[in-house]
Amino acid sequence: MHVSMKWLKELVDVDLTVEELVDRLDMTGTAVESVRAVGEGLDGVVVGSVLTKEPHPDADKLSYCSVDVGGDEPLRIVCGATNFEAGDCVPVACVGATLPGDFTIKKTKLRGLVSEGMMCSSPELGLGGDASGLLVLPPDAPVGMAFAEYLGQADTVVELEVTPNRPDCLSMVGVAREVAAITGKHATAPVSVPEESGVPVHDAVSVEIADPDLCSRYTARLIRGVSIGPSPEWLAERVTAAGARPVNNIVDITNLVMFELGQPLHAFDAATLALRDGKAAVTVRRAGAGERLTTLDGQERVLDPNMLVIADDSGAIALAGVMGGENTEVSDTTVDILLESACFEPTSTSLTSRSLGLISEASTRFERGVDAEGCVRAADRAAALMAEVAGGTIAPGVVDVYPVPAIPGVLEMRIDRMNAVLGTGIPAGEAAGILTALGLGVEPVGEGLLRVSVPTFRPDLEREIDLIEEVVRVWGMERVPVTLPGGRGRVGRLTSRQRWMRRIDGAMRAAGLNETMTYSFVDPGDHERIRMPLGEGETLVELVNPMSEEQAVMRISLLPGLLRSVSYNQRRGVPDVHLYEIGSVFSTSEGRKLPREHTAVGGVMAGMWSRPGWTGDDHPLDFFDGKGVIEALVDELSPRHFQVRPADLPWLQPGRSAEVLLEGKVAGWLGEVHPSVADAFEAEAPIVAFELDAGVLIATARPVRTYTEVPRYPAVTLDVALLVDEKVSAERVEHAMRKAGGPLLDSVRLFDVYRGKGVAEGRKSLAWALSYRAPDRTLSDDEVRPVHEKLLRKVCGAVGAELRS
Amino acid sequence: MSIITELESLRDSALERISQAADLAALDAVRVDVLGKKGSLTGVLRGLGALSAEERPAVGKVSNQVRAALERALEARKALLAEAALSARVAADAVDVTLPGRKRLPGRAHLINQITAEVVDIFTGLGYAIAEGPEAELDYYNFTALNHPPTHPARSATDTFYVRDLSEGGASGPITDVLLRTHTSPVQVRVLEQQKPPVYVLAPGRVYRRDIADPSHLPQFHQIEGLVVDEGITFGDLKGTLDYVCKELFGKDRKTRFRPHFFPFTEPSAEVDVSCGICAGSGCRFCKYTGWQEILGCGMVDPNVFGYVDIDPEVYTGFAFGMGVERIAALRYDIPDLRMLVEGDMRFLRQF
Repeated sequence: MHVSMKWLKELVDVDLTVEELVDRLDMTGTAVESVRAVGEGLDGVVVGSVLTKEPHPDADKLSYCSVDVGGDEPLRIVCGATNFEAGDCVPVACVGATLPGDFTIKKTKLRGLVSEGMMCSSPELGLGGDASGLLVLPPDAPVGMAFAEYLGQADTVVELEVTPNRPDCLSMVGVAREVAAITGKHATAPVSVPEESGVPVHDAVSVEIADPDLCSRYTARLIRGVSIGPSPEWLAERVTAAGARPVNNIVDITNLVMFELGQPLHAFDAATLALRDGKAAVTVRRAGAGERLTTLDGQERVLDPNMLVIADDSGAIALAGVMGGENTEVSDTTVDILLESACFEPTSTSLTSRSLGLISEASTRFERGVDAEGCVRAADRAAALMAEVAGGTIAPGVVDVYPVPAIPGVLEMRIDRMNAVLGTGIPAGEAAGILTALGLGVEPVGEGLLRVSVPTFRPDLEREIDLIEEVVRVWGMERVPVTLPGGRGRVGRLTSRQRWMRRIDGAMRAAGLNETMTYSFVDPGDHERIRMPLGEGETLVELVNPMSEEQAVMRISLLPGLLRSVSYNQRRGVPDVHLYEIGSVFSTSEGRKLPREHTAVGGVMAGMWSRPGWTGDDHPLDFFDGKGVIEALVDELSPRHFQVRPADLPWLQPGRSAEVLLEGKVAGWLGEVHPSVADAFEAEAPIVAFELDAGVLIATARPVRTYTEVPRYPAVTLDVALLVDEKVSAERVEHAMRKAGGPLLDSVRLFDVYRGKGVAEGRKSLAWALSYRAPDRTLSDDEVRPVHEKLLRKVCGAVGAELRS
Repeated sequence: MSIITELESLRDSALERISQAADLAALDAVRVDVLGKKGSLTGVLRGLGALSAEERPAVGKVSNQVRAALERALEARKALLAEAALSARVAADAVDVTLPGRKRLPGRAHLINQITAEVVDIFTGLGYAIAEGPEAELDYYNFTALNHPPTHPARSATDTFYVRDLSEGGASGPITDVLLRTHTSPVQVRVLEQQKPPVYVLAPGRVYRRDIADPSHLPQFHQIEGLVVDEGITFGDLKGTLDYVCKELFGKDRKTRFRPHFFPFTEPSAEVDVSCGICAGSGCRFCKYTGWQEILGCGMVDPNVFGYVDIDPEVYTGFAFGMGVERIAALRYDIPDLRMLVEGDMRFLRQF
């Protein structure tokens, strides 16, 4: 809502500066979006009088003029406009003036002739309006006067952000009433009493509302014999200040009254309406399926029965509350005006305007709610202005069909309740004063109770709490004392799951990974690119209205987003990438409403931990760096059993691909990303990645660990190298050792894996340090040796190993 | 030469050799030469048997003195040499302490989650529990039960992401029953369905709106929702809580102000500003010359919302608020482009 301060001051005796008023509006619930001074940037623009106008000798479309701007010599100006003659007064931008849009006027040559300025149209001066020709001023305009001064428009336009609950503030009168209430002043509303003559409107117009659920009131007035023309300056200026474009006197009046009173109006050319029994017969009805209407913007619209139209016997002539029809539009030849002032139902108007992509000043007001009680007043005001400005005569009477009368609400407000909700001690009298200033009827009934009648222009006030809000916003939220809730017996604490999530998060960082966030929605092709299958019967979660095809489905894995981040870093010369993300992944299946959502813990690692330094202890990251991260996490969560098992997963490189099992349940996967998958994301392999399901991590985590005695006696450690087939996993050998070792075997540590010279092709040497220990004594070599030898015999038998000498 | 003289001369020459010994090996050689089984002093003492009974005590005394003196000298010299050897070894071990250390740096938490954790900690300190809800949500929780009328603009397909509804009879049009939640407020309703007052919860989480990603918008971002429902909760309690939290988050010297606003699910509603951290309220480019920065929306729980979850608004009142985490991040760190938060650039992530 654009509010001209000049206009506002005619309606309310506000004596604050603009800044003070803006602050007060901000602090009472009407946010100010911008403050704009009109007429700014018009320095160097003056009123000029065209002395001579001759055709340009070398250009058909240009003329060559001399223009008196009050200086010693007239200016010579080349001009392309045609709507003026010698003797006319026009605004002239002199050399050096800077017009809106940062356009500076210079002395130039146009087709060989010097031009010392520019005669201006209204839009060129930032005033809106007609761009087709110069802004021709009245002949008595004072030549040489600064144009801004001539306009007398040191006006300021304040743009208000009107919240959806305040339809009344989409009018100057409503804003004036609000301003009066918050500044302790008085607002006045313009009243027009139309002078009527001629054949009564009832003899010329009939109205029928077929669907009263969508139209609670429809009034029509008839104004005969108008002459259509440009609006007088005051009218054009006002409409421009409110943000509309001046069209002609009739349309501008409907707009003016809409801005002034908040009631959208529509003017039909009465002669274009089909007659029934000699009357223009207007019907308000739902559109037929497939019914067509060409709207004012020249577009043919296909309608459906959810839309309300204004129709005559020939068909739809306007889209109710949204836009008029082209066939009944007011034109230069229009003589009689049928003026519509009606109240259409908000939801239907809103759906219609949105489904057609037609948002107008009228639809914006109807969808928030127009006061049905104001229809006649607005029609009277517009009719009177049409008579005044366009020379029409107003037919006596108003056709007023009002099947669903608006009834002022009556509410009660308990002062105790108000103060209990707010935490204040506002006296009843003060609260009553605030509500009265807002235009409500307030009557104290009994101790601490107000009976409040709510005028129909405040449809948002339906309950006691609505009145309480009105009081506090005007009384001042800043005055409400600050307290903290008391509340007994509450405990602030994270849930067990949340605490585990924090530990998982912490373990990831302790292991050296940095947290990132990627988009929850991905390209549907991403899942093909990573070749990750969905579960049995599961499908992707699709967005109905994605921003783009690249973000059309919800991710089933964090991997695509993380691979994109690897690529992002690599392409910017950052080779060392260590990222993790904890976030939701989604899937659904036929028959489901809400998708499944799981929290996943994913990571990617590429490059090295850091660039090689002087200590030379860095290496390219591989599978075992990823496994190390997971082992560190497992150490933190302490599940009873943890296993990494080879698995063929299509998005991982074969042979460097594994499942992670916790207590026998698959918790996720780990491996090096398949080079062709990395390639599909423009990332450079090797990339280590993993993803674990947070649910399984938490389900298998042990909140309480058990104590085992810290060893008191030394261990005997013996090293042994075993030659085994390549196929035999380290895990299998270790299992065999633990199985064969008996109670004295304390720990098993693999410290070398060797292939090559001295080891047969297809075999490998695994070197182990075996520690033996007794809880109650120091073991002797003699005691350990037979146990160790027995272990080796058993292990060799179990896994086909031989001792490497 | 008397035996005593011989002993004294032996002592003097041995002491001389001890003092000359350059290292522990040379010193040991001296010890063996003098005190060893075949050593010179040992040899002299072996000759004691030939002495008369009168001479023996005096010579014996002197010889013991000589032995003791030599042993002391050997010990002292040994300590000296050992210390010198250690010093030499230590000196050889000196390093350039300005060389970089061996390290594996721990990772950093994402800025958004750092802030979220900070807010969570503030509120757990105030006695709040932490609640969560799904990111793909039903229209009912996201809009209807939060008092949004059917035509509320936020429900349009231009503002909200809708999810294909695969249930039987699920809507197939552009607007379905399932959506990506546009705020964390649906958690309010879910909590109130599960739990009767007193309720003190905080619900952080990811939310989605159909905004094109640009320096100040992302189609996904994060909010932190707060909800209190108890007997006797007032608007003053809401003010006090948020004032405290803003001071914890932004600094004790920051002020807050409450501007009345409109939200469908709270009444009265307000937007909260904190005084600008750049200009301390005097107005600057950063706060668009207002002296204030908007950081959250809040209000008293609308009685209509209580209606959906069967709580008597005459008995209980409550407040709710929602803050944008990206907004707080942008304010605290002056981040020029929110898209940096989702790019995963290591050079950005390592900064916080």
